[in-house]
Amino acid sequence: MRNTWLILQREYLERVRTKGFILFTVLMPLFIAGIIVGPAKLMSRKSSAVHSIVVVASSQALADEVKQQLDNPILSGSDDFDDKQPPKYSVSTSLDTSAAGQKALFDRVDRGELEGYIWLDDQAVKDRKVSYKTREASDFMQNVSIRTAVTAALVQQKLASHGIGNEEIEQLQKPLDVETVRIDKGRESKSGSVAMVMLPFLLMMMIYITVIVYGVAVMRSVLEEKNSRVMEVMLSSVTAKELMAGKILGVGAVGLTQILIWVALGMVASTPAAIAAKPYLAQLQIAPAVFACFPIFFLLGFILYSCMYAAVGAMVNSEEEAQQLQWPVMLPIIACSAFAMEAIRHPNSQLTFLLSEFPLTSPILMFVRVVVQQPPLWQILLSIGLLLVTIYGAVALCSRIYRVGILMYGKRPTLPEILKWIKYA
Amino acid sequence: MNTLELRAVSKSYDDFKAVEQLSFSIPKGAVFGLLGPNGAGKTTTLRMMIGITLPDQGEVFMFGEPFRRKHLERVGYLPEERGLYKRMKVLQTLVFLARLRGVAQHEATKRAQWWLDRLQLGRWANSKVEELSKGMQQKIQFIAAVLHQPEFVIMDEPFSGLDPANAMELKNVLVELKNAGKTILFSTHRMEQVERLCDSICLVNRGKSVLEGDLKQIKAGYGKSNVQLEYEGSAAFLDRKDIVQSYNDYGNYVELRLQPGADSQNVLRLATECARVNRFELVEPSLEAIFIDVVSKDGVVKKEGANA
Repeated sequence: MRNTWLILQREYLERVRTKGFILFTVLMPLFIAGIIVGPAKLMSRKSSAVHSIVVVASSQALADEVKQQLDNPILSGSDDFDDKQPPKYSVSTSLDTSAAGQKALFDRVDRGELEGYIWLDDQAVKDRKVSYKTREASDFMQNVSIRTAVTAALVQQKLASHGIGNEEIEQLQKPLDVETVRIDKGRESKSGSVAMVMLPFLLMMMIYITVIVYGVAVMRSVLEEKNSRVMEVMLSSVTAKELMAGKILGVGAVGLTQILIWVALGMVASTPAAIAAKPYLAQLQIAPAVFACFPIFFLLGFILYSCMYAAVGAMVNSEEEAQQLQWPVMLPIIACSAFAMEAIRHPNSQLTFLLSEFPLTSPILMFVRVVVQQPPLWQILLSIGLLLVTIYGAVALCSRIYRVGILMYGKRPTLPEILKWIKYA
Repeated sequence: MNTLELRAVSKSYDDFKAVEQLSFSIPKGAVFGLLGPNGAGKTTTLRMMIGITLPDQGEVFMFGEPFRRKHLERVGYLPEERGLYKRMKVLQTLVFLARLRGVAQHEATKRAQWWLDRLQLGRWANSKVEELSKGMQQKIQFIAAVLHQPEFVIMDEPFSGLDPANAMELKNVLVELKNAGKTILFSTHRMEQVERLCDSICLVNRGKSVLEGDLKQIKAGYGKSNVQLEYEGSAAFLDRKDIVQSYNDYGNYVELRLQPGADSQNVLRLATECARVNRFELVEPSLEAIFIDVVSKDGVVKKEGANA
């Protein structure tokens, strides 16, 4: 126990002091912030630009209606972007649907005098196929806003021609709000759909990344000890089991420290934003179970995987061999991220249930289920129980491989040889 | 009381018998040599002594009791595979290793400083291990093996890789440890280095003990039946099978073993006939000569056994 503690201490201090740890700790949040904030900033910047376009229609009334819809959109693009500004337009109208007129507009766009034009002659209306010609065809926000504007204009005209009053039409065109309410143990709880997807995904990624990064760190650390031949010195005063346990727990403690730093940084950095976004965040209800489950599933998942990584590190003699041999260990974790979407969308499906109980995938997928929708307690306990049993077995097995492997140099062992290692006294 | 006692210890890996029915004991305060050629099972034997691997059969007694891990706090081990944590600082490394063997942090720091100064490594205390030369790293590892003031010191090939000056420094420290009453075990295949240090030896070959006992008695048992001879010219006299049993020829120096009952003066006469003799001395065989003799005989016996 004392030895494990000393080894844990050394492993922890040596790692936390490195520049690599400090860099990773600082850069990772910046990187994530960059991914989240960057594109959003870019989008809002773009939408502040004014696009000068021409609407060509065969009737002035239709052209005006489209202009009106573009200037004051009733319908915003789509729910996912409701917090973003729709693109702004400076619209002029034209009734010249001749080929010559089109050629003239084409040339103006080509010369850059005009951003684009909407072609809305009778044929286009009849075919319900409107073309928007522009040099920048890749901005899908524009595509969405033009489509909704033209659709709204056409509906408006048609309804008006049937004698329905303008006010009534506007009322009809107003977008509907759909409120998703989750029924949970006889109570209703609201949840924003975007947040519902993002939160489990973020937390899952956190477990996923740390398990992989620190699992691999355990493997490399074993390999390094093996290659530097320090093993024998260590083994003359501690057992292989103590060495392995100290290493895994030490590296795990580094991982936890990192997560804690990130969470703390995140809370400090997002305080002003959180206050501003209070109504939005209010939709987000994190069950207390999530807070309880995060460390449990993180630790159990980490211990299970780093055990296997430690065994891989003990089997090989070089980085290259390690790269090849770590695939079988990595595969189930990668499968987790592939099945995470399924678990978020169908938390009650048979497949999700099975994967969230299977010990190699449960640390991530059961946790996802806990975040999305609280599964019955017995299912959570069953998956924790199965994990514990598996860890017990994995530790027994891996520490045997580890104990023999760390003193074996030379060629990589074959599978029958590894089976023999497990049998050695 | 014996510091260490092996009783019929065996260990095999698959079909390969690394150590077979090996028994020997080391009395307290003795300097003991575990000798043998490469692959004889020396390192496996050491590993079984200190519980890195467990014997398949037989028992290990340490300090008069069946081996327990608790005993390791009183044992210092310098493994043949030298290695330290490369990125750790020298002093930290020593303190860490001493604490694993039950020394308190403060005490470990004090002793580590003392040893570093003693071996002229004081100014490297706060350098990373990887910045040191190989010889210096080896001295660090030696310090690590004795920092917890063990009663029993196990040294696997302690002098390999050291220059003569450092080897002598290390030897002096070992003699001090011996004089302080510590029990020392050398494991090596370099005979000349331990010949003058050891009280008793065990010679192993192919995992079995082939010669064991007090070094002086062993040598006396061979008698002054060896001749050391420095010569210039032809070495044709060595081919006289009726007089010369075996020899180890270096070109202008030869150590030879007489046939039982042969007269050493015959050798001298034969030698002077074909070469100029600069030195002629009748001696007890060197440990190296005994080693080669025993090992080659053992090999022959083995082969014959295989044929029969």
